[in-house]
Amino acid sequence: MKSPVPEKMTALRIALMAVLTAVVVVFTLIVRVPTPIKGYISLCDVVITFAAFLFGPWVAAIAGGLGTGIADLIGGYAQWAPLSFVIHGVQGMLIALIARVGVKQGVPGDAKLPAMIAGGVVGMIVMTGGYYLAGGVLYGFEAALVEIPLNLMQSGVGLVLGIAVAKAVLKAYPPVRALAIH
Amino acid sequence: MFEISGLSFTYRAYGTAAEHAPVLCNLDLTVHEGQSILILGAPDSGKSTLARIMCALVPRFVEGDLEGSITFQGERIDSRGPWELTDRCTLVAQNPQEQLLMTTCADEVAFPLESLGVRRERLVSSVHSALHRWELDRMMEVNPQELSGGERKRLLLAVTDAIGAPVWVMDEPFDDLDEFWRAHLLSEIEKKEGTVIVFASRYLEEFRGSFDAYYLLDQGVLTAGDEEAIVLAFDRVSDVQFSVKSTLEHVPEHDSHTLVAQNLSIVHPRRSVSSTEPFTLRTPDFRIASGEVVALVGPNGSGKSTLSRVLCGLDPSATGSISFDTAPCDRRMLRSRVGYLFQNPDFGIFLPTVREELGWSLRHVPALAEEQREQLIEKTARLFHLSCEDNPTTMSYGARKQLQAAVYYILNRPFYIVDELDSGVTYAAAFEIVSLLRSRGAGIVLITHDSAFARNIAERTYTIDNGVVKERRLNV
Amino acid sequence: MTTSTFVAGRGIVYLLDARSKLLLVLLLCIEVFLPISQIGLWVLFGGVFLLAWHATGFKQAIQPIRSIAFILVVMTLFSPLTDRDGTGLLFIGERLILTSEAVTNLSVLVARFLSITYLCTLYVWTTPMADVNLAFRWYGLGYHAALVLTLAFRFIPFIADSFRMIQDSHALRTSVEFEGRRSRRQRLADIIPTVTAALVFALKSIPYTAMSLEHRGLGRREKRSSFRQLKARGGLFTQLLVSVMIPTVFWFLFTTL
Repeated sequence: MKSPVPEKMTALRIALMAVLTAVVVVFTLIVRVPTPIKGYISLCDVVITFAAFLFGPWVAAIAGGLGTGIADLIGGYAQWAPLSFVIHGVQGMLIALIARVGVKQGVPGDAKLPAMIAGGVVGMIVMTGGYYLAGGVLYGFEAALVEIPLNLMQSGVGLVLGIAVAKAVLKAYPPVRALAIH
Repeated sequence: MFEISGLSFTYRAYGTAAEHAPVLCNLDLTVHEGQSILILGAPDSGKSTLARIMCALVPRFVEGDLEGSITFQGERIDSRGPWELTDRCTLVAQNPQEQLLMTTCADEVAFPLESLGVRRERLVSSVHSALHRWELDRMMEVNPQELSGGERKRLLLAVTDAIGAPVWVMDEPFDDLDEFWRAHLLSEIEKKEGTVIVFASRYLEEFRGSFDAYYLLDQGVLTAGDEEAIVLAFDRVSDVQFSVKSTLEHVPEHDSHTLVAQNLSIVHPRRSVSSTEPFTLRTPDFRIASGEVVALVGPNGSGKSTLSRVLCGLDPSATGSISFDTAPCDRRMLRSRVGYLFQNPDFGIFLPTVREELGWSLRHVPALAEEQREQLIEKTARLFHLSCEDNPTTMSYGARKQLQAAVYYILNRPFYIVDELDSGVTYAAAFEIVSLLRSRGAGIVLITHDSAFARNIAERTYTIDNGVVKERRLNV
Repeated sequence: MTTSTFVAGRGIVYLLDARSKLLLVLLLCIEVFLPISQIGLWVLFGGVFLLAWHATGFKQAIQPIRSIAFILVVMTLFSPLTDRDGTGLLFIGERLILTSEAVTNLSVLVARFLSITYLCTLYVWTTPMADVNLAFRWYGLGYHAALVLTLAFRFIPFIADSFRMIQDSHALRTSVEFEGRRSRRQRLADIIPTVTAALVFALKSIPYTAMSLEHRGLGRREKRSSFRQLKARGGLFTQLLVSVMIPTVFWFLFTTL
């Protein structure tokens, strides 16, 4: 009593992308951790990394890009929305693509640790570099340097916690594997 | 309409040695066109599973084994996708949050009509009239997340109304509705010219004589019968009649503590856009001692959770003080002394096995040796009918409630506040949880909107009247 | 948690169609990077700021400046580092601190950044999200993608509320007698359980949402109708034309070519 898979994908995929997008928004706006350097880092990168490891490039790109974009709109940083959309979208996609190296089709949750770390590091570079470039164009490359430490820290924490949380969720909620295939 | 024979369904087990027992076991049911039937079943008896199977949603989206045959209007239910049933059979879920999709009430009603390709003029007028019939006109542009529980249920009913399908499958539709709307829903069901299948776990006197056929869902099978027989059997199954007070054991000697809250005034936030302005909840005197069971009764939105959050140290109060053993207590101290069991048990679950969840609560207890820890964990699991290797997130709702209670039992707090325990578990299970928590000497505050339940289980009762919390003798 | 980006107010900006406004904002945001004189950029910013002021009042209208204040300060502080070889403007003793090119550059950057900020912000203040969604669809965004956007907004308050409850639940569960202030390390360690529980909670709602989508007809073969519509006053074509004309006129007035 099973239906053809392609149809099943549409509603589940839509729901998956929407819910993860909402989680990214909430984590960007509400979940903040104070740092020794002035300011807060948001945990949005944790969710993006998590989504990349478990659900693959498209879901991570949409959740990351759309989620941070919406968070910027709601948070009063509308001018950043299109930029965050691109930067975190690419970040999510690349982390997922690299982390999946060596993983057979259909079980993205079983990514190997070195690949996950490599993906995460690339994600850090993309995120930090992307905001640096965007900031440079918008307000000068010298001034844009200021945000680099914070962004590195945020994406670094994202990588470490993303790995931990991905493993924890896989163990705590096994049905996630069925979602991961879509 | 529906022809179900030999239906069995077992949820897939994760991470356990043992497989789950089948939820539905060789079940047969025939529903004729135009019939209205009532299926009574205790919580976790498989009502929601059956309802979703009848709408072709399970096992499509939930992993499990299904056997047997289900046909709807002569066709196998899974022959095409669930969207084929949109204009033929409408499901009203027990928990509206499962079904809500849109950001305004109007869009929520419009969505299925858009799927059906209804033309715009008719679409707009259908939306308006459906919302009007359920008195949600003012909520047209309001986000359903800002509505109260009862309003969300009415929204689901408005959607069902607007679709106008000939078959309704309704899972606990009377839940969350107040008396006026329950009567209204019942009259809609009686007026309806199509087929209605209602699942319920509280047999309200209000239903008497309203349905054509009555069934009991128990142990995965449906039993048919006349109204009296089914209601009697249902009462037996859910242990509704019990006299608790005499069986609450005398609490063995433990340290005796008291928790006293005086002159509290708490700003009660606006729960819903339709309710009145924020008001201040005043609590002149609220006290509980070790071993007592005290009920806090009030309708939805009256401030029970607001007061509870202050009592357990989550929120501050504007004035007044809370004392533990006559010494004033700040919020941090309160949090370590008063446990709060949220109505939704899923807020605390994050580990892969029951054993680990229970063990996690013990990590701060230094005095226990490894072996003692394991023994305590296993004993607690047994007390609460849990299997140590079960995966918490995929256990049944009732089991998750038991786990929540077990986690707090092992924490051994002097006081517990338990929020709406009686919704979602049988009375018998609720009573057992309260006894177990109490057996270690704790004082228990039970929040409920069911005054019958409060009468049966609590020694004293506080009610909330016009924003004031007062001790009250409930009429026997 | 409020997910509303819309700010109620008055003025012509509210009357413009979401689609033509989007085109206008897009064209202007691109145009500020083209060869435009400093004066032009400040005129643009001034105009948009005045529109915002008229629409929502002064207090609201200066919010964006406050949100980027830190960056503006940083930009100003860093300006001595730019355009080092140019005509000197500011000296301390014999050391060149600031060139006049740097000041011009700073002025251009600030005006540009402010303009982009206000253009995007004003668009979002004056256009309800549902209309923005419809505008994207008109420009070609597929229905399923637009549905993801709507669904995301449906879930944001739900997940925010449940996250707070999950935090509370963990705080209660891990509260220990005689603890004292929790160290930062302890608080960080508490994050993983909370985040895990929050993610599991969110993931559990996905199958039910998919069920509801299909139950309510997603996947049917009929062509979907639409409850909401965008209506452009004066006709969409006219408004789009105006959206193209404004940047064009602006270009001819202030280009430095």
